[in-house]
Amino acid sequence: MADTGRLKQVAVPALGVSPVTLLRIAIILGVLAVWEFLAHSGWLYRDVVPSLLAIGRDLLELLTSGNYYFNLGVTAGEVGTALLIGGSSGIAVGILLGANRFMSKAFESYLYYLGPTPKIIFFPIMIMYFGIGPESKVALGTLSCFFPVALSVAAGMRQIDKVLIRVGKSFRAGTWQMVVKIYLPAMRHPIINGIRLGLGVALIGTLLAETKLSNKGIGFLIINAYSTFDMPRMYAMLIVLFVLAIGANALVGRFGGLHSIKRN
Amino acid sequence: MAPAATPSSGTAILVADNITVRFETPEGAILAVDDVSFGVRPGEFLSVIGPSGCGKSTLFNVIGGLLSTHQGVVSVAGETITGPHKSIGMVFQEESTFPWRTVTDNVAFPLELIGMPKAKRVERARHFIGMVGLDGFENRFPGELSGGMRQRVSLARTLASEPKILLMDEPFAALDEQTRLLLGDKVLQIQQQLKQTTLLITHNITEAVQMSDRILVMTYRPGKVKRIVDIDLPRPRTSEIVSSESFGRYVAQIWSDLREEASRGMRADEKHALNEGAAS
Repeated sequence: MADTGRLKQVAVPALGVSPVTLLRIAIILGVLAVWEFLAHSGWLYRDVVPSLLAIGRDLLELLTSGNYYFNLGVTAGEVGTALLIGGSSGIAVGILLGANRFMSKAFESYLYYLGPTPKIIFFPIMIMYFGIGPESKVALGTLSCFFPVALSVAAGMRQIDKVLIRVGKSFRAGTWQMVVKIYLPAMRHPIINGIRLGLGVALIGTLLAETKLSNKGIGFLIINAYSTFDMPRMYAMLIVLFVLAIGANALVGRFGGLHSIKRN
Repeated sequence: MAPAATPSSGTAILVADNITVRFETPEGAILAVDDVSFGVRPGEFLSVIGPSGCGKSTLFNVIGGLLSTHQGVVSVAGETITGPHKSIGMVFQEESTFPWRTVTDNVAFPLELIGMPKAKRVERARHFIGMVGLDGFENRFPGELSGGMRQRVSLARTLASEPKILLMDEPFAALDEQTRLLLGDKVLQIQQQLKQTTLLITHNITEAVQMSDRILVMTYRPGKVKRIVDIDLPRPRTSEIVSSESFGRYVAQIWSDLREEASRGMRADEKHALNEGAAS
């Protein structure tokens, strides 16, 4: 984590915009132009690629509708709850596995096998247990979130500088003090990283579940728009979701970068 | 000649009694420390010196209560230790500051553990930060400091716990020579100011003679007490003492003891390397 970035100063032109930013803007404009061209070309079925104007109109309508925010709230609540339950249990299990060689040998290979399994295959079971309401989505999101957090924390725990643990012991820190004042802060980077991964898969799991079988939430709205061939509305919702996902990720990243290590 | 200088436990605050440590390795059991006994008197600066592989660091861990697979007894003021003892403060050889804490929060760490209120512990921490000469760096993170400064933070952190006995394992080993000398001065000054009972583990003869009241010379594996040397140099001392004639005599005397052990260690290492080479 050396701050070598300080040395590499990119020359900033008079307008205050770097060439990289200009290129990025150009790419976006290019994509939009091609999109709009396709929309008017008549080569594709109507509304598979709707015009930007139609999407924009629906976007505006979406952002001013109370119903949309209600469903957004439902999904956000599901993802948040999933992250809370899956994340905290993932951290607890990760610490246990990282601290105990025996437990790690016994259980960690199961986590590695279950981790990449698409959790959506468990959705029918979740519906049986929790019904078609938000509970089954939370359950699926939790299940998705748990694995990357647990594995990342377990690996992070093993990478803790051993001398810091000896320091804590030499000052006679109790078990709880060791966890709160040494293990957790020493692992903040892998934990944040795990939560970031966990957030991603919790979002995917929850939305996927909503599109399968549900009666509210963003996934439900999207699949509803799709099944009624309201493509502009569907695209508008995808755009909002995209922006929200980026925002959530940036928030988690910012949270973790508060005190960067500058050792070495 | 060897263990004759063992002081009676009546005057010593820290007593190591017949310490023996064996390690199991794939190549069989290794006797790391063999029947080592000594005592540290209140206010005394005692150094344990020996070549690499004499079990110095093992001894450090046993006295610090971080290693409990030893035979023999370590006691502080008559009380046998069974783990890290509140009267013993350890300073480690490795980089050991907490990178996520500021200098103040690092130094206040032991005070935080015992539940001292924030305002009070910050004030105490400031006191010890000043003592190691780091005023003005209170709110910096360790990553913003040099290696020597970080080691001073570690020292201040241990001093803040106000241990009866300061136990240090080659605290300057990773530093360059100039920093090491200046830091040695600082430690000497603090030790004399606090009348701090100190046990220093080192392989550096100059450092040991400069600071110590007594030096315990250890043999190469298994680590035994080879000799205990009284350093009869005037106090208060500074690093200038290294140019005095009597200083030179002590260094020469200890080096003649140590050379034998160090070359024995070197031969053992060479033999080991040869065997490894033949086996592969």
